[in-house]
Amino acid sequence: MPPILEVKNLSVRFAGNTALDHVSFTIEKDAIIAVIGPNGSGKTTLLKAILGLVPYHGEIRLFASTVRQVLPQLGYVPQRFAFDTTFPLTVEEFINLTCRNPEKLPVGGVLEETGMKDFKGKMIGELSGGQLQRVLLAHAMLHRPRILFLDEATSGIDVEGLSDFYSTIHRLNREHGVTVMMVSHEISMVYKFSDRIICLNRDLISHGETKTALTGEVLKKLYGDNADLRIHGHG
Amino acid sequence: MAELLQLPFMQRALIAGLVLGLLLAYLGIFVTLRRMAFFSDGVAHAALAGAAIGILTRFNPLVSALIFSMLLACLIYWLEKKSSLSSDAIIGILFTSGMALGIVLISLRKGYQPELIGYLFGNILAIRRQDLALIVILAFLIVAFIIRNKRKLTLLALDREMAYMAGINPDFYQLLLYVMLACALVLGIRILGIILVSAILIVPVSTARLFSRSFKALTLWTGVIAEGVMIGGLLLSYYLNLPSGAVIVLVGSTVFMLAFAASILCRTQH
Repeated sequence: MPPILEVKNLSVRFAGNTALDHVSFTIEKDAIIAVIGPNGSGKTTLLKAILGLVPYHGEIRLFASTVRQVLPQLGYVPQRFAFDTTFPLTVEEFINLTCRNPEKLPVGGVLEETGMKDFKGKMIGELSGGQLQRVLLAHAMLHRPRILFLDEATSGIDVEGLSDFYSTIHRLNREHGVTVMMVSHEISMVYKFSDRIICLNRDLISHGETKTALTGEVLKKLYGDNADLRIHGHG
Repeated sequence: MAELLQLPFMQRALIAGLVLGLLLAYLGIFVTLRRMAFFSDGVAHAALAGAAIGILTRFNPLVSALIFSMLLACLIYWLEKKSSLSSDAIIGILFTSGMALGIVLISLRKGYQPELIGYLFGNILAIRRQDLALIVILAFLIVAFIIRNKRKLTLLALDREMAYMAGINPDFYQLLLYVMLACALVLGIRILGIILVSAILIVPVSTARLFSRSFKALTLWTGVIAEGVMIGGLLLSYYLNLPSGAVIVLVGSTVFMLAFAASILCRTQH
């Protein structure tokens, strides 16, 4: 099966500082791929470069095309919402903003899949951090993307909501065949839910199947000597 | 009242007030959402240079101010993209430079300048037939564009990255928003003046935000408040024989204060 995402020699520099240095990898269809690394390791930059949001050197091919050509097939949940959440905008209005013909798209369906159906009349500013992230997820899922990019989408979610959020992502992947690429700091959740992993620290430290590529040694390379991997029998 | 509405200057004032009230108030939704109040204030103040060029060269000052402000909006956009300076710094430099250029140009002409005072403080009652035609045509074009592209402009105002992901060209629509805003502000200067024009951009939407529970309600109430403030302020200024621009702004701020007090009262009761 040909890869759906190919990254070759990707480098990103901001004002003379290297954010990513000659990173190369490929991604196959239907997997959940986690991107981990310490702060400033280039995780968010990697996602933004793939999506064409920052200038880069190197080659990125999505479905053997450029990102502009396949944009409608991609979904993106940002790290945080940039706008003033006190602005009067209901969940349904927000979701509808993305579509020219809301009645032709599964607005109710994506809200149900993300557990937000009962909140469609609520204002965005009245939602908790976890609910807001679910709304952003529903927004990203509206056009039934083939790849979903999540940039630390669980920041601001409490421990209880965290597992729910990852379970939703897992369900979307397994039931709808959406390939998921997610930047995360929650190593235990990554270990439990992801199929493949990309370990970054400006350059590529390790990548491959999560259970084999994520080792104590790799964690030490990423986070220092105090980091270690302890497996507690996840299912 | 019926007699008042038969006066040609009052008819022109009311039509211009209603059209510009709606135009500026709707643009105000995007201005507050994108926190562009300083951009609006800056472009309005710098328009003085454009009006001064028109006055000095005996060309229509409204048209020269329109051209000058739209070019300035493009320059702000270009500098924001090309320089590492913050948007506020760029606007601050261009706004004061434009104002200073306007003062220097005006000082080249001797004697009292009633037209200049009209641009500084507005004079809705002195709107000429050709000014009204320009206001109505441009306002119609801008409002039609906003209605047609409301979804794109709103998404861009909310989050640039989300707009891009939805297939919208953020740079193109941002530039258009800047140019439309500059154009609307200059048209509004005829009513409220350079110093006060930003008020009608900010006050109606800020008042509507206090009690709106959806974007649809916000859009509706912003329009209703803007038109109410325009008509109320205009009539009040006529009966009290006070400057129309200042009275419109004071009516707007009174409505805002009342709505603010009511919203606090409602919150404490719940």
